[in-house]
Amino acid sequence: MQPLQGLAPVGLAKPDAGSAADKVEQSFAKIMTDMVSQVNDQQQAADRAVQEVHAGGAKNLHEAMIALEEADISLRFLVQVRNKAMDAYQEIMRMQV
Amino acid sequence: MDLFTTFEIASSALKAQRIRLNTISSNIANAETTSTPEGGPYRKKSVYFESTNIPFRDQLNASMKDAAHGVKVARIVEDTGPGRKVYDPSNPDAGKDGYVEMPNISVLKEMVDMMSATRSYEANTTTIKSAKRMALKALEIGR
Repeated sequence: MQPLQGLAPVGLAKPDAGSAADKVEQSFAKIMTDMVSQVNDQQQAADRAVQEVHAGGAKNLHEAMIALEEADISLRFLVQVRNKAMDAYQEIMRMQV
Repeated sequence: MDLFTTFEIASSALKAQRIRLNTISSNIANAETTSTPEGGPYRKKSVYFESTNIPFRDQLNASMKDAAHGVKVARIVEDTGPGRKVYDPSNPDAGKDGYVEMPNISVLKEMVDMMSATRSYEANTTTIKSAKRMALKALEIGR
């Protein structure tokens, strides 16, 4: 978290104030992107496990099922994080100015 | 994640129980086998387990590393005890005295072992279900 900065006079805004905000925004976006890609990886791993079971590969049935469950739980977690982020965004949008 | 550790441990147990069931199935299938490529009747095979340190995906604290163990099949041992002798001179595997050595397998014991393997498998799937339910409950906090 970035510490809150004191308000600067309008005309004398520090040149790096915008870039700090950008950095915070980027890092949150990066967290979300990383999460999405992790969940995607897990979905693909589950997919591969199911395919291997169908193809009669070395994977056991229970391993495929566990991969599916892991992918399921990760996806639900991602959806919850997304819901929270959307809630926060809408709360801010409703704010009276 | 800790939750997925439960999955990994239970998964190793499920795998071990499957190997055990495969061995039991082999024993039952060969309960009447009087000749093998190695010579002599089929010998009963038993599975022995050992605990393993499961590979952790994430860094976990050291205490957890020592506490959670998976399981794997340590070895499959052949029982060298004598089989029961049956008088059957027409059998091509019969000795000069007309007796055939049958495998040292008790189908009854194998059935009991099979039920034990099945119950153990069920118990481990219940662990997985329980871990999943806990995870879903944790996700409900946010709702």
